[in-house]
Amino acid sequence: MINDKLKINEAANYLGISIDTLRRWDDKGKLKSLRASQGDHRYYSLSQLEEFLTSSCVSLVLKWTRDNIGAEPNDIFYCSDSSVFQGRLYKLRKALSGNKEIESFFSLLISVVGEIGDNSFGHNLGNWPDVIGIFFAYDIKKKVIVLADRGRGIFKTLKRVKPELQNDEEALKVAFTEILSGRAPESRGNGLKYVKSIIEKNPLSLFFQSGEAELNLSQNISALKIKKAKQPIQGCLAIIRF
Amino acid sequence: MTSRQLGKEALSAFLPNFNNISESEKIYVNFDDIDVFSPSWGDEFLTALYRKFGDRLILKKSSNASVNASVEMLEEANSIKFNIE
Repeated sequence: MINDKLKINEAANYLGISIDTLRRWDDKGKLKSLRASQGDHRYYSLSQLEEFLTSSCVSLVLKWTRDNIGAEPNDIFYCSDSSVFQGRLYKLRKALSGNKEIESFFSLLISVVGEIGDNSFGHNLGNWPDVIGIFFAYDIKKKVIVLADRGRGIFKTLKRVKPELQNDEEALKVAFTEILSGRAPESRGNGLKYVKSIIEKNPLSLFFQSGEAELNLSQNISALKIKKAKQPIQGCLAIIRF
Repeated sequence: MTSRQLGKEALSAFLPNFNNISESEKIYVNFDDIDVFSPSWGDEFLTALYRKFGDRLILKKSSNASVNASVEMLEEANSIKFNIE
């Protein structure tokens, strides 16, 4: 890195793509390099790459959850443990604080994000199938927040306390609608019921997927429509729009 | 106040304060200055205090939407009714 600028191979490595792809993106204008003239070397600034990643966070999280082989996400999205997540949640809180457009539901939005992220850690503690931790990103310009884990998913988690559950769709329904108490051996609450109650009363929307089941929630729609997802994922994925 | 673990830690840190409390004393919880509150934190802290002190635990009314929504969720999930004034 020279003067906070990355060479093309460093930038490609940072983004997890090939140099050829980066050259192609430069030529097409998808991600322009910093160079004075056509013959000069291509450089990229770190902030430019971070901004590019953030603006692509929805497609990146989808890819991350759908990949057969788990890999740690880019550092700017990766919360390896709950304390990292709490720190980044605090950053989101600071970034949204004072935003007049969301003032009336600001604390609810942050608490919803906190519950979803906290659920991922609580459900998978000591049982992560591959990547430990969560993918957490937000693009304030696009008003979107994404959270995902490659954990065991709702079905496997709930089946421990509700053995009669048959599949992801049933499990998702229970998670979002039924109050479950005494969930030994795990100490967990009813976070997704809370999430549903907040989304349906505020100008927010949520796409949630776990395994092969997905649902969409939005304001004033309390009926839960769960369907089979086109592409299954490992763990859980939440996309919140505000 | 958005994590179950942090709620648990907060309770552990706070409980010694109640060692010398008399049986007639009430415990007031004031939510002033709270920015964001969540049911998982509240479940570890408020529900535990409710189980210990019952109606002697009094939650001061709050204007924070996340406090109110979380308290409602805790009441429903645990089939309890907090004393709010």
